[in-house]
Amino acid sequence: MVLNGGTDVVIQLRDRLINPEYVVDIKRIPGLDELRFSKEEGLHIGACVNMNRLGGDENVRTYYPFLANAALSVGSKQVRNRATCAGNLINASPLADTSTPLLCLEAVLEVEGPDGKREIPINEFFVFVRKTTLQKDEIVTGIRVPYYEGAEGIFTKVSRRNKVDLSTVCSTVMKYAGQYRAAFGSVAPTPRRLPKTEACLNEGPLDDARIDRAVELALSEVSPIDDVRASKQYRLDVVAMALRRGLESLG
Amino acid sequence: MKYVGQSIERVDAIRKVTGQAQYVGDFHMPRMLYAQVKRSPYPHAKIISIDVSKAEKLPGVRAVITGECYTKRCGLYLEDKNFLANKTVKYQGEAVAAVAAETAEIAQEACDLIEVVYEELPAVTNAIDGMKPDAPLIHPDLHTYKVAPIFFPKPHTNISHHYKLRKGDVDKAFQECDYVAEHTYYIPHVQHVPLEPHVAIAQYEYDGKLTVWASTQSPYAVRQALSVAFEIPLNKLRVISPYVGGGFGSKAGTTIEGIIIPLAMRCKGRPVKLQYSREDEFQNSYVRQGLHCKIKTGVKKDGRIHAVKNEFVWDGGAYTEYGVNIVKAGGFASAGPYNIDNVWTDSYCVYTNHPVGGPYRGFGMCEIHFAIEQNIDIVAKEIGMDPVEMRRINGLRVGDKTCMGETMVVSGYHECLEEVIKDIGYGEKSESTNPRKVRGKGIAAGWKSPSMPTNAGSAAIIRMNEDGTFFLMTSGQEIGQGSDTALTQIAAETLDVDPKLITIRTGDTDHTPYEWQTVASRTTYCAGNAVKLACEDLKKKILELAQIKLGAYKRDLEFKDGYVVHKIYTDRKVPLSEFALGLAFDDGSGVGGPAIGVGTFTLENNINYDKETGIGEHPVAFWTIGVNGAEVEVDLDTGEVKVLRMVSCFDAGKVINPETFCAQSEGAMVQAMGTALFEELILKNGHILNKNFVDYKIPTADDMPELDVKYIEHAEPTGPYGARGVGEPLMVPGAPAIANAIYDAIGVRFNRMPITAEEVLKALKEKANK
Ligand SMILES: Cc1cc2nc3c(=O)[nH]c(=O)nc-3n(C[C@H](O)[C@H](O)[C@H](O)COP(=O)(O)OP(=O)(O)OC[C@H]3O[C@@H](n4cnc5c(N)ncnc54)[C@H](O)[C@@H]3O)c2cc1C
Repeated sequence: MVLNGGTDVVIQLRDRLINPEYVVDIKRIPGLDELRFSKEEGLHIGACVNMNRLGGDENVRTYYPFLANAALSVGSKQVRNRATCAGNLINASPLADTSTPLLCLEAVLEVEGPDGKREIPINEFFVFVRKTTLQKDEIVTGIRVPYYEGAEGIFTKVSRRNKVDLSTVCSTVMKYAGQYRAAFGSVAPTPRRLPKTEACLNEGPLDDARIDRAVELALSEVSPIDDVRASKQYRLDVVAMALRRGLESLG
Repeated sequence: MKYVGQSIERVDAIRKVTGQAQYVGDFHMPRMLYAQVKRSPYPHAKIISIDVSKAEKLPGVRAVITGECYTKRCGLYLEDKNFLANKTVKYQGEAVAAVAAETAEIAQEACDLIEVVYEELPAVTNAIDGMKPDAPLIHPDLHTYKVAPIFFPKPHTNISHHYKLRKGDVDKAFQECDYVAEHTYYIPHVQHVPLEPHVAIAQYEYDGKLTVWASTQSPYAVRQALSVAFEIPLNKLRVISPYVGGGFGSKAGTTIEGIIIPLAMRCKGRPVKLQYSREDEFQNSYVRQGLHCKIKTGVKKDGRIHAVKNEFVWDGGAYTEYGVNIVKAGGFASAGPYNIDNVWTDSYCVYTNHPVGGPYRGFGMCEIHFAIEQNIDIVAKEIGMDPVEMRRINGLRVGDKTCMGETMVVSGYHECLEEVIKDIGYGEKSESTNPRKVRGKGIAAGWKSPSMPTNAGSAAIIRMNEDGTFFLMTSGQEIGQGSDTALTQIAAETLDVDPKLITIRTGDTDHTPYEWQTVASRTTYCAGNAVKLACEDLKKKILELAQIKLGAYKRDLEFKDGYVVHKIYTDRKVPLSEFALGLAFDDGSGVGGPAIGVGTFTLENNINYDKETGIGEHPVAFWTIGVNGAEVEVDLDTGEVKVLRMVSCFDAGKVINPETFCAQSEGAMVQAMGTALFEELILKNGHILNKNFVDYKIPTADDMPELDVKYIEHAEPTGPYGARGVGEPLMVPGAPAIANAIYDAIGVRFNRMPITAEEVLKALKEKANK
C-alpha cells in the first residue's frame, strides 16, 4: 500500500477498513514533489504535491483558478499541508474535491509500473467507489493538465459546514472557446462529466430556455443517493443550483 | 471591590498554554495495564452466552470480566444502571465484557476473541412509542429499583419518572382566553463533544485501598456511587480529578470508572487505564436526551398569557439514573421566565434503546426553550402582536410568582430584553448585497435554576503559609469554565490579599474538602460561598490574635493588602504572615496555632416542592435570567444559514471576572448555534449513524458570528458578593433566537433542530409551491 499524504490511508487503517502487509511511503522519492507550468506543456503536478502548494501556486491561481479553489476547499489548512492531489484522485471517493476541475480540464495521470510507463486519461480512471484502473503494482508519478488559453471555470462546493467538511455536492462548470464542460462529484459512484448536458449547452447560444433544458438533462445524468450527509432530493436541488449559478456567471 | 469584578489573568492560563497542565490522559504509571471494552452490536438483545476462554488465553491478557461479575445496580437518583450489561443489552454499544492487558492493542485483540451469542429483542426507538401500553419493556423490574423519594417511576412501563406541575386551574383558564393554540416541537439527541474524551485509571492495592484518577466534574459524587456499587468504605476510596478537558455535563456522575474497577480488583497493585475514543465518546458516555414537546398556550386580547399546558416526553435512553432529574428540571421550569397564573405540565422520562441520556449544559433548558421561545413568537404573530411586546407584557418582574409559585426577589428580565433589542437593532431591516440572500433578526429569553438536591453541600479550607501566602482547597472542579480563577478572586477579596498569593487546589477526595458536584452552574455560588466563609473564619481567628498584638479592639481592625491594620490609626499594622503559626509572645510562648479557616455552605430554607403539584415556597436556590438576539442571513438557493451576529445580556448578580464571563457567554452562544444549525446524533433503529466528526459537525472558527456580550448586575441575596451561576443559563436562549431570526428572514418556522441547509431549502420549496 502506497502512503502519500496519508490523510486517507491513516484513517482507513485506524478504522480497520484496510489491513495492508506493507505501507510504503513515497514522499522522499526525488522528483515526485515537482510542480511546473508552461503554456506549451501545461501544468505538471507531481504525485506528492500537497493541496496548499497546488492551491497557492502563482501559475495555478492565474491559469487554473477553479482548480486552485478546489484544492483549497479540501479539509483544513493542516490537512492540506499533507493531502495530495494525486492521493485525492487515487482514493477515488465520489466526492473528491479536485476531481471535477481535473475532469473538465481532461487531465492525464502519469503512471509507472513493472512494465514501464503509461498514461491514463482521467475520464478512464474512475471505475467505482474507491476503484480505479490503476493496477496494484503501479504508482502515479504525476498529473498532467493541458493549458487552455482563455478558459474560465467555476468550482462549487456545497457542504453542511463551510470549512473542514466533505462535499455534499461538488462541481465544476468550465467554458473554453465558447464550449461548456461540466463535471459533478458526490452524485454518482464516481465523479463524472455530464456529456448530454454539455452537448445541449454546446448546440447553440446560451439563453434561459437552454439553461433550463441543460439543468433538466443534468438531473437525468446524475444518480445521487440518500445518506447521512444529505437526501437524494437535496443533492438534485444543489446540482440544479450549481449548474445554473455556474452558467450564469460564465455567461 | 478590589479583586472581585476585575479581569485578572486566569490562574491556570500559563499551565494550560504551555502544555504543563496534566490531564488523566497524560498519566503513565509503572506497570500500567490498558483496558478495552467489548460492546453490543444490537440496541436491544438478550445475552444468551459469553465465551471469554479464547480471550483469557491470549498472551498479555491479565483480566477479563463480564456483567455477571458485578450484578449490583447503581445510579445517582434511580438505581437502574449496570456498568456492564447484565442478561440483556439495552443500547447499541453497551459494554458486555472488558479486558485488561499489557497493551491496548492486546486488549483489543482479546475483545475481538470474546464470543457473545445474542437473541435480538424488539427495540424502543422512539420515546412516544415507548410510552404506549404494548411497548416492549426495557426495565421489566423497574418497580423493584431503589429511587430517590422525589422521583416517580411508573411500574411495568418504560416511564422512569413522571413529573407534575399544577398551578391554578388550566381548564377553566383556557375558556377565559381569547386565543388558544397548540404547537409541537422536537429536539434531537446531541453530544457534548468535550475536547478530551472520557478517561480513567483505577488502582486497587493489597490493603483494600482503591484509587481512581478520572476526568470528572464530580469526584465526590463519583466516590459515593462507586462506594455503593463496589461496597468499599469511603476512607478506602480515593478519587482524584486533575485538570478536566471540558465536560459540559458529560463528566458528571459515573460512566467509565465502573468498568475498570473490577479489572483493577483482579490485577491488584497494577493501575488499569481506559481511554475513550471519539466514537466511544459519542456512543458510550452521555448524550443530551431527545425531547418531544407539546405546548398549548392561551392568551387574552391584551397579550397576557393566561394559561399554558405542556407535555414533555424525554427520550431518556437505556438508563435514566441521572436523566430523571433533567426531566424534573425541564418540568419545573416549563413556563419559562414568564408570569403565568395557570400552568399544567406533565414531563415524562421514557426508557428507549438509545444511548444513555445525561446532563448537558442547560440541563433541559436549551431543549424546552427552543419550544417556549419560538412559541411566544408564533402566538404573538397569530394575535397580531410584536413578539417583543408580548415578552414585555409577560416577562417576570420582581414580586411576580414563578410557575412553581415562588416569589421573584430579583429579575433582570426586562432590562436584559431592552439591552438586546437595542444592540441587535430589532425592527430595523438590514439587507444583503446579494439579492439571493435575505436577512432576519430574532430575540429569545431563557432562565435556569440549579437543579440540585435542596441540601447540596460545599466546603472550603484556606491555609496560610509562614510567608503569608495561601492554599485554598475546594473540590469545585476547573473544567475550563474558570472556576479556579473565580474562587481565587473571592478568597482574595475576602482576605484583601493579592490573588497571586493564593494557590488553589481541587479534586482529591482524600485531601480537598467535600463538594457535591461541579454541575448546575453552582460552583461560583455554592463553592464560592464556602470559600468566602472559610476566609471569614480565618479572618476571625486572626483578628482574635491581632487585637492582642495591636492592643486594640478587633472591631477597629481590618485586613488590608496583606496586613492587619487599625482602621483609625492606620500606621498601626502587622503583616498577616506574623499570624501564620499563631501569635508568639516575647517570653517565647505562643497561642492560636497555624492559621487555617474552614467554610461550609448549604443553602438554608431550600425546601422540596409539593410532590403532587410541584408548588413550593423556596424550591430552588436562584433563577438566572437573560436574553439573546441573533441576526442571520439565509441563502435562498442553497438554504444555507449564516449567523452574522449574536448578542447576549444576562443578569449575573455580580460578575466576578468580566473576561471569563465574556468567554463563557461567547462559548455558550457558539455552542447554542452548533445545536441550532448542525448538531444531531442521527439515530436509525437504535443505531448511531454519525458517531464521528466526519458526520457530526460542530461550528469551526470560520462559523463564528460577531458576538457581543453584555450583563447587568442585580445582586443575588444569598450569593457570594451577589454572584449567581451563569455557565449553563448563558446557552439557553441562543438556539431559539436563531430560529426566530430565520423566521424573520424567510417566514418559515422550524419546529425541529438542527435547522440545516437541507431543511431550509426543502421548506423554501414547499412555501413556493403553496
Ligand atoms: C480531516 C480531513 C478532511 C478531509 N477533507 C476533504 C475534503 O474536503 N475534500 C476531499 O476531497 N477530501 C478530503 N479528505 C480526504 C483526503 O484528505 C484527500 O482525499 C487527500 O487528497 C488524499 O491525499 P493523501 O496524499 O493524503 O492520500 P493518502 O492517504 O496517502 O492515499 C490515498 C490513496 O491513494 C493511494 N496513493 C496515494 N498516492 C499514490 C501514488 N502516487 N501512487 C499510487 N497510489 C497512491 C494510497 O495508497 C491510498 O489508497 C479529508 C481528510 C481528512 C482527514
